[in-house]
Amino acid sequence: MNYSFDFQSIAYAPLMKGLLVTLELTIAANAIGLTFGFLLALLIMSRIAIIRLPAMLFVEFFRCTPAIVQIVWFFYCVPMLFNVFLGSLTMGILALGLNLMAFNAEAYRASIQAVPREQIDAGIALGLNPFQRVLYIVLPSAFRASIPVLLTNGIVIFQQSALVAIVAVQDLMYQGKTLATETYRPIETFTIVALIYFAVSFPVTQIVGYLERRRQLLVS
Amino acid sequence: MDLNFSVLLRFQDALLLGLWMTIKLTLICMVLGCTLGFLVGLARTSRNVFVRGLSSVYVEFFRGTPVLIQLFWIFFCLPLLLGVELSNLTSGVIALTLYMGAITSETFRASLKSVGPEQLDACVALGLPKRVQVTSVVLPQAVLRAIPTLLSNCVSLFKESALVSAVGMADLMFVGQNISNNTARPVEALTIVALIYFAIAFPLTRAVSIIEARILKKLAI
Amino acid sequence: MTMPFSPPLVRMQNLHKSYGPEIQVLKGLDIEMKPGERVVVIGPSGGGKSTLLRVMMGLEKIDSGSITFGGKPYISSEGVGRKTVIDTEVRRSIGMVFQHYTLFPHLNVVQNLILAPCKVRGERKAEATERAIALLSRFGLGAKAKAFPAQLSGGQKQRVAIARALMLDPKLMLFDEVTSALDPELVAEVEQVILQLANQNMPMMIVTHDMWFARNIASRVIFCAGGVVVEDGPPEQVLGSPKEERTKDFIERVFHIRQ
Repeated sequence: MNYSFDFQSIAYAPLMKGLLVTLELTIAANAIGLTFGFLLALLIMSRIAIIRLPAMLFVEFFRCTPAIVQIVWFFYCVPMLFNVFLGSLTMGILALGLNLMAFNAEAYRASIQAVPREQIDAGIALGLNPFQRVLYIVLPSAFRASIPVLLTNGIVIFQQSALVAIVAVQDLMYQGKTLATETYRPIETFTIVALIYFAVSFPVTQIVGYLERRRQLLVS
Repeated sequence: MDLNFSVLLRFQDALLLGLWMTIKLTLICMVLGCTLGFLVGLARTSRNVFVRGLSSVYVEFFRGTPVLIQLFWIFFCLPLLLGVELSNLTSGVIALTLYMGAITSETFRASLKSVGPEQLDACVALGLPKRVQVTSVVLPQAVLRAIPTLLSNCVSLFKESALVSAVGMADLMFVGQNISNNTARPVEALTIVALIYFAIAFPLTRAVSIIEARILKKLAI
Repeated sequence: MTMPFSPPLVRMQNLHKSYGPEIQVLKGLDIEMKPGERVVVIGPSGGGKSTLLRVMMGLEKIDSGSITFGGKPYISSEGVGRKTVIDTEVRRSIGMVFQHYTLFPHLNVVQNLILAPCKVRGERKAEATERAIALLSRFGLGAKAKAFPAQLSGGQKQRVAIARALMLDPKLMLFDEVTSALDPELVAEVEQVILQLANQNMPMMIVTHDMWFARNIASRVIFCAGGVVVEDGPPEQVLGSPKEERTKDFIERVFHIRQ
């Protein structure tokens, strides 16, 4: 190999600017995903088919198509179909937020339905009304159970956010790509970009691992 | 605006070729990735610190970074480092195999762990030698338990394979974007592409749930 | 009846076992077991009963002490925290049945039974299968030969587990709370099978909470508490009129009698 490394000539300032955009995308998408994802979960558990089926289709569509297809579709088609023209950062946030909404709705649903039947029976036996049973028994335990999955989904969206670089949102990935072509230093640039992504993801996955281990200890 | 999906009819062959590339990539990387993942899953339970450390770094790094950057790295950096030209297909296969290896190794590791200590007690009580414990008791159960998650991993791989369009490989997504650019009809072209992905991935995810329920029922004890 | 000298089947000497520095489970156990004896071990939870059985099966390390089986050295320790030496050849003459069945869920009933004979003794599959079917029908499980463990009731699973252990012609059987996980109506069918073995003079050591079963099957009862043998004797003595205060106390509590 006759490649001489040069990490000095990399301009770090644009990368940091890109990282801020990436974090902004991630946080905003998570805000959408955590809140609207929960509402969506309620819809997919509805007993009324006309509410449940479209909601399920929405979720399945996002879960069963590539994120890159969703994002490209969103950027090209939404303005044409609905005649709305938003800034590219807003578009990125919406596209990622919708995707995360679908995955989080599924996480909420799974953990709500995993609350053991006996818990609800105990609530009935204690004379709690249906609303109280949901508020005091189902939701607290479901929320706790869903935290590791929600965190994992959140960090997956952080990684998926790199896709918006393809539609020219100036995130970390985009800045990396630009820098790599400008400086002819792809190895250094892409390695550093990868390490930055890793430095954010890794601690979160460790926390998720810790939470899951602790939860297993508590359950058994 | 008026939608006209019939313009896509003349691109039928191109779409089919793109789909074939997507499926080919998925199948190749599925086989290679599962093999790699199985070996890495075993390596992570190794007693050798070096083997364990190296395999952990590999898995954590590939799970902790966007697949897109992995792909870019392998397309643009690996040839420079190796000093050889790599064909698009080779680079794509390497990148997606490494991705698949990392996620399936976690699947195998979890399923190996799920074989409880009492199963090993039973092996000892029956006087089974270590080799038989592994080949006849632990591995068959671990692989059975791994199957549903492995299938999900395959669906993920199928979806992630769309990223190769970003480095110019002519897969389904790439063809779709080309059609969209050439016809100036992105809504029709991209919607059809999304529907094709959905039509393949959705039945697979249903199948995963059914298979999972059957395996859990069989292994319930 | 003349009693010729018969060597003990099992001789445990000064067994010590602890989990960490704090928890001592076995504090110097000495037990001898004669051929043909059916020893029931009773006692409070955490008193070391199950540990004793697991040590005898070679599933747990020991800190010190030794066990001989049929006159041959079987288990010994090189010291606290050091290696426990287990003669695996000898271990094969001991069979064990666990509380939670531990059948192999991916194998059907016959496959569960013939795995060890085929893999350990190199027995031919056809022969092992024939023996397995014979054993299963003796235990009233002939129809379940091809079933998977998940398709069986708890009582059936436990009977299969007993049959599986018997496939290796053990010289001693260990039963560790084998009915504790069962629904009450399924307990009898499992105890019936163990009684069947008792009638054929199979030496056995049983840990159980079921005092009626203990009284029925035991030729000797050991009351174990705090990691030592507190009382040891024929069932009518240990269960009927115990001498030791701790035994009395325990028996009273499990039978809910106040004298």
